[in-house]
Amino acid sequence: MKRLYLFLGVIFLVLLALPGVLNNYWMEIFILIFFYAYLGQCWNILTGYTGNISLGHALYVGIGGYTATRLAMVFGLSPWVGMLVGGLFATGVGLVIGFLGFRFGLRGVYFVLITISFAEIGRLIALHLESLGSFMGLFIDFNPGFLNMQFRGNLPYYYISLGLLVFSLIVVRTLELSKTGRYLVAIREDEEAAESLGVNTFKYKMVAIGLSAFMTALGGAFDANRIFHLSPDRVMSMALSIEIILRPIIGGMGTVLGPVVGSFLITLPAEWTRAYLSEVGRPGLHMVIYGFVLIFAVFFFPRGIMPLLNRKLGRFFIKE
Amino acid sequence: MNSDVVLQLALQGFLMGGVYGLIALGLSLIFGVMKVINFAHGEMMVFAMFLSITLLLWGGLDPYLSLVIVAAVMFGVGYGIQRVFVNRILELPEAMQVLVLVGLGIIFENGTLMIWGGSDFSPKTSLALSSFRWGPVTVDVPRLIAFILAIVITLMVLLFLKKTNIGKSIRAAADNRYGALIIGAHINRIYGICFGIGAACVGAAGALLVPLMPAKATMGAPYTMVSFVIVILGGMGSLIGALIGGLIIGVAESLSTVFLPSSMKQVVSFTIMIVILLFKPQGLFGGKG
Amino acid sequence: MKEEQVKPQGIDRRTFLKTSAAVGAVTAITGFPAIVRSQPKEIIIGSIQPVTGPLPDIGISMQRGNKLAADEINAKGGIKSLGGAKIKLLLGDNEAKEEVGRLVAERFLKDGAVCLVGPFLSGVAMAIATLAEQRNIPFVIDVAALDAITAKGYKNVFRCFPKTEYFMTSLGRYLDQIIKEKKVTIKRIALTNAGDAFGRGQGAAFLKYVKDHKLPFEIVEHIEYPLGVKDLSAEVTKIKAAKPDLLCPVARPGDAKLLIRELYKQRVELMGIISPGSPGWYEPEFVKDMDKLAYYVLDNVPWVNPKSSKFQDANNRFEKLYPGKYLDTNSGYAYTGVMVIADALERAKSTDPAALREALRKTNYKDHPMVGGPVVFDEKGDNINATAAMVQVLPDPNMDDRVKVVLPKEAAQAPYVFPWKQLWDRG
Repeated sequence: MKRLYLFLGVIFLVLLALPGVLNNYWMEIFILIFFYAYLGQCWNILTGYTGNISLGHALYVGIGGYTATRLAMVFGLSPWVGMLVGGLFATGVGLVIGFLGFRFGLRGVYFVLITISFAEIGRLIALHLESLGSFMGLFIDFNPGFLNMQFRGNLPYYYISLGLLVFSLIVVRTLELSKTGRYLVAIREDEEAAESLGVNTFKYKMVAIGLSAFMTALGGAFDANRIFHLSPDRVMSMALSIEIILRPIIGGMGTVLGPVVGSFLITLPAEWTRAYLSEVGRPGLHMVIYGFVLIFAVFFFPRGIMPLLNRKLGRFFIKE
Repeated sequence: MNSDVVLQLALQGFLMGGVYGLIALGLSLIFGVMKVINFAHGEMMVFAMFLSITLLLWGGLDPYLSLVIVAAVMFGVGYGIQRVFVNRILELPEAMQVLVLVGLGIIFENGTLMIWGGSDFSPKTSLALSSFRWGPVTVDVPRLIAFILAIVITLMVLLFLKKTNIGKSIRAAADNRYGALIIGAHINRIYGICFGIGAACVGAAGALLVPLMPAKATMGAPYTMVSFVIVILGGMGSLIGALIGGLIIGVAESLSTVFLPSSMKQVVSFTIMIVILLFKPQGLFGGKG
Repeated sequence: MKEEQVKPQGIDRRTFLKTSAAVGAVTAITGFPAIVRSQPKEIIIGSIQPVTGPLPDIGISMQRGNKLAADEINAKGGIKSLGGAKIKLLLGDNEAKEEVGRLVAERFLKDGAVCLVGPFLSGVAMAIATLAEQRNIPFVIDVAALDAITAKGYKNVFRCFPKTEYFMTSLGRYLDQIIKEKKVTIKRIALTNAGDAFGRGQGAAFLKYVKDHKLPFEIVEHIEYPLGVKDLSAEVTKIKAAKPDLLCPVARPGDAKLLIRELYKQRVELMGIISPGSPGWYEPEFVKDMDKLAYYVLDNVPWVNPKSSKFQDANNRFEKLYPGKYLDTNSGYAYTGVMVIADALERAKSTDPAALREALRKTNYKDHPMVGGPVVFDEKGDNINATAAMVQVLPDPNMDDRVKVVLPKEAAQAPYVFPWKQLWDRG
């Protein structure tokens, strides 16, 4: 394992130093890579480790963003604190969804549909709440300053998103090694067997969804102060939920590095095709290619990329 | 709200429900047999709508007639998709299936965009504007025809599945994939036909909707969503359930506008879905699901 | 004279000294060799429009408008004060997403864009505006309506399009005029809008205007429906039940067609339709597909000025390039946006963002194809002369000519018709 940690450490140092040679555009790309890897990792906590697929994770992003922003607008509360409040709120919602889903024994596609339903209802309600700006959304003031989580350059956002990502990696790895994590994996592999062995599957699944929701919401607050506009159709939409799950699925669910690898592999080609094809004047072409890329990624890596990497490079890095 | 308005709303919702039922029928078949959530369902329907419009603009064929051609083409498309893409993912974990079908949805939507552009297409069709009074309500003729044809097609599909050999093999495969394999059913062909029929249903529904609403490349997603709700309500794999579910959701959405702003219509459908998922996940007519 | 004997490169000494002093001064101020900077061969402008996503037809139309202007400037010799430098217009797709809009803007800035133009959607406008403020690069919003964008006091943002408040002021004027001139009484109004930022913004602004100015109308029904809705039968049933004199719908082409069809089928009697300002009622698809049913709809929208020679010239070129399309509000403002940038570049005589920004602030641009006075920006960045016109779909054998400006009279192509003929009486 030492080699792997060493390798990751080097990568981390490179990423830390990278802004020295990157211009704003490239930093923006990395921010997107880190941010979506982070969201994917948060989702991974629930789905990768318990096997319950959520297609409504955008709901938590929205809760985080809106809560932090409203607290800042009304009470002048720093988003650094606001995001924790948003996280708690999201945990509450996640626990409700989890309660309903797990208590009523919803698995597989049924669980997916309930997450979709709640996310869509949440989005529709947000579209009508005046306090959330309803259809117009919230237009956020630009007041750069550390306390406001707003900055003039891309550099601070780069480090914050990288920080969030590393934080999520540590959380997931710690979880993996802990008792809770082992129970979660047991639940994913065979829930009934775990139950029969006396594992309180309900409790652990609730922990997973609560933690997942909390962390996802933090990302929402970060994003709000970077884009300066919140609308339910942007931060609570199915489209975002789908973006969130793409990277961990392609990278490899239930693995620590999956979402990160997946994020690099998706975001870069997506931007290249957009940059080079949208000028051709054939609107939609880059999206069609994106669709094909997703499909072929699944064909070539049906378990995600990490298992493949583990096989090929595992011997080198993870000599136990 | 006076009772006339409520009646009118209920009628409109009921008639639209027939078409919803047809759309959901396709999804129910696909899900019931292959256990695949077709995230591209609505987008396939939109593609079919544009095919129908093209036949109208080039050949002067009214959508009610070109319906047959569109359904046939979509059958082929569905069969092809199943053999090329869906077959490969049947054994994969659900999450991977989701990704592939989402990818297909993106391809359909943006392919439609590339071919036909982004504007609304609303060509004049023969009956688009006719209506007649029936007692206290006004009946919208295209909606009525869509309803009738949707029911007819649904019954035809049901008959097909019950009476023909292929139909029986499909139902056998739905019940027990391995069993069907053992008795030698050409499972891939069966799945292909099944997806093809599902696509044909959604294609026919698309043609029926052309006189009713403008077609736009990006309009598919809400239809995918509503067909999920209907399939859950009716019961996964139950075809009658898809039809009845469609009618119920059609009426529910329409009536909900009495006390909710129209843009919250979907809240009703999703709430229904949640309630069903929690308390009767097999739906109204579903088996053990 | 002694000076004539010291002639470096054929320039006499006095001129040389004057020039070097000027160069020295400029160099001291900008910190760059002025000679190198003041004569670029091309000036890069980034156009960011929603080419894919839910509004591709508008995105493409806007892109075409931007391009029409850029090509025209280049054909006429580029920016003369900068040595004939040509405008290089980078075409970007914001996919109707804020995040993508920002990313594309970053890419264009990296590629050397000195100004950005776009993006039609207000949310994306906010994201790009903040970026423009962060990087101190001017951003000209060709089209985006929500008032909130310019309320932030950003110094780099300039909006050509009228904000929602201006829409309503125009509408108020026109309604007043119509009621007086046609001697009609309008008491009951039904308002509808789509459930997106634009729809809701317009709808709310209309309500607020009626309330604030104590207009004698009763809003008997206010209906909101989801953007992209495909079925308005329930909504029209409610409208009919409310018995309005006038319907004021904020709609895009899809819902506009649905509304008309439902109004027809359900036989809803009205004095007419006057939209507070929405694209659905003048788009070619609506006019063509609805034929006689589109007649007499009035729309309060910023519009091209058909009597302006600038419009006629630009429109001719647009129609030749894109058969079947004409320069409309969106593409017209997109065209204006780039023309305003070019005009500012001419006056700034430099591509330095600060100089360009100052020049934009002082804009007084008359040579544009839209209804309304010259483009003049206030300290918040709004074009104070931006106004709406009243257009009406009128019978004409040529479908492309059916949408006509009817108010203000100075720009009118035909007299307006009000009240209208009921939908089912049109044969």
